[in-house]
Amino acid sequence: MRLGAARPSGVSEAVGRRWAVLLLASRVVAVAMALGLLAVDGFGDRDVVLALVGSGYAVVSTAALLGSGGMRRRLPFWPVDSAAALALVLASGDWRSPFYLLWLTTLAAPGVQLGLRAATALGAAAALAFLGVAFVGGPVPGTLGATSSETLAIHLALPGLLVLSLAYAADVLRRLERAQERSEQLGLAAERRRIAWELHDSAKQRVHVAHLLLTALRDRLDGDERELSGQAIVELESATAEMDTTLADLRSPLGGRPLHEALGERAAEMSVGGSPRVEVEGSAGELPEPLATNAYRIGVEAMTNAVRHAGATRVRTVLADDSDCFRLDVFDDGRGLADDRRGTGTGLSAMSSRAATLGGRLEIEPGPGGRGTTLHLEIPHPKGPRA
Amino acid sequence: MIRIVVVDDHPALRAGLSTVLRAEPGLVHVGASGGDDESLWPVLDTARPDVVLLDFHLPGADGLQLCLRIKERLLAPKVVLYSAHAGRGLALPAALAGADALTSKAAPARELFEVIRRVARGERVLPPVTREQLDQASEQIGEEDLPVLGLLLQGASRTDIAAALALPVAEVPDRIRRLLGALRPPIAQDTL
Repeated sequence: MRLGAARPSGVSEAVGRRWAVLLLASRVVAVAMALGLLAVDGFGDRDVVLALVGSGYAVVSTAALLGSGGMRRRLPFWPVDSAAALALVLASGDWRSPFYLLWLTTLAAPGVQLGLRAATALGAAAALAFLGVAFVGGPVPGTLGATSSETLAIHLALPGLLVLSLAYAADVLRRLERAQERSEQLGLAAERRRIAWELHDSAKQRVHVAHLLLTALRDRLDGDERELSGQAIVELESATAEMDTTLADLRSPLGGRPLHEALGERAAEMSVGGSPRVEVEGSAGELPEPLATNAYRIGVEAMTNAVRHAGATRVRTVLADDSDCFRLDVFDDGRGLADDRRGTGTGLSAMSSRAATLGGRLEIEPGPGGRGTTLHLEIPHPKGPRA
Repeated sequence: MIRIVVVDDHPALRAGLSTVLRAEPGLVHVGASGGDDESLWPVLDTARPDVVLLDFHLPGADGLQLCLRIKERLLAPKVVLYSAHAGRGLALPAALAGADALTSKAAPARELFEVIRRVARGERVLPPVTREQLDQASEQIGEEDLPVLGLLLQGASRTDIAAALALPVAEVPDRIRRLLGALRPPIAQDTL
């Protein structure tokens, strides 16, 4: 998808890969330690079964976690994973189980994705669950010596510490990533402003001078020479027009405002005196720069068309920003487009090409009940692993 | 013989205008300035132009305020506001700043000469101010500035304005300046 190239999304992919390597390493260590501990005790009959089931389970669940990125994010998977590891602890007949570490690693995946508050709750829930296992599986707390009570306390505290510190680290990383993305966008915007100023302040002024000199010259010429200079003048005038278009494209019309605010402002300008009624509803989250600017231009073009060409008395623009898709719908009650005109016309083709540049889709159809026109714009806008 | 001073921050534009004006019979290019205080006022004093061709967008100075100051001089020259975008947004501010004409830098030489000759004869060559622009302007300015705007558009003099609003004459220029400041089209949008 083309949008990916324009968005500095490489950061989160790299971070994701690093988490995956960390998870894999911790699982390998956990399984190796479990097997080692079983070996030190001297494998009993039950231990062999446990070792086989435990390491087999670890391999399968780790493969599932790493294999499909989606699996990691799906909520139902990690509680099952965690419960299965806790069952292994229970099955080993003592809460001081060789599989304790494996259970801890199952809490890493949710820890990385949860917010701080949810992570605290998870840590407490995990401690309670482990306490339950200790009561059921024994040796029962309360009947233990001082050393073992201390060990139990450590076993109970560890999940909370692990989940919280992971959640904290992930939170910091997410913030860092967002700040980086933001500063890159700001830098890009500043660069575009600089180019726009230079184009306007110098290049365009020189074109104006050349135009002025040539028009003065043309008035002194006749015949072929006059025609030649006339052609040169036309070229210069086209150059000026093209520079104006480039300038308009270089300047972000949003000026740092959120999209719904900028569109709302334009809508208010169009509905001076309350007729036509032009309204903007809903809002979109933070949008990356090329998307925001293009969505703004498409929205303005659609509203202008409705008011100017379709004679609409009411225009409603609705913004929505789902988890992976940005949507803009414009409803009007105007004359509507004749079938043969749909998708043609410079305004419409400009809108379509803007949508296509962003890997999005633009649809124009008759409004509900055949009255007016409805425009749907859909642009994929994945927000990455941030919750 | 119409004596002309060019005020523009871009050297290429000053040079080009000087060439074009020199080649046109009846027009004399008598001086140029980048719009800074150090060069502008001495040039106006020594060259005594009939017409000043004034760039709207100057770095460090606002063409409209400069226009106002030039028109406040004794025996003020005619002022042609010369802008890269002589768009609709500039019509009202130009009229309020006392400009005699508003012309686009994209206009051909003949049109520019014509405008210069007309203002030299005492005509004003400004685009008409529409009802819409007035409505929008009255929303942008303070209520106490509304009468100043109305009087200025009717061509009232400073003393007329002072009398009508019961103000000291010395305060009128400040009121006009404030009005222009509020109506100044944002550079980044309308004039770029």
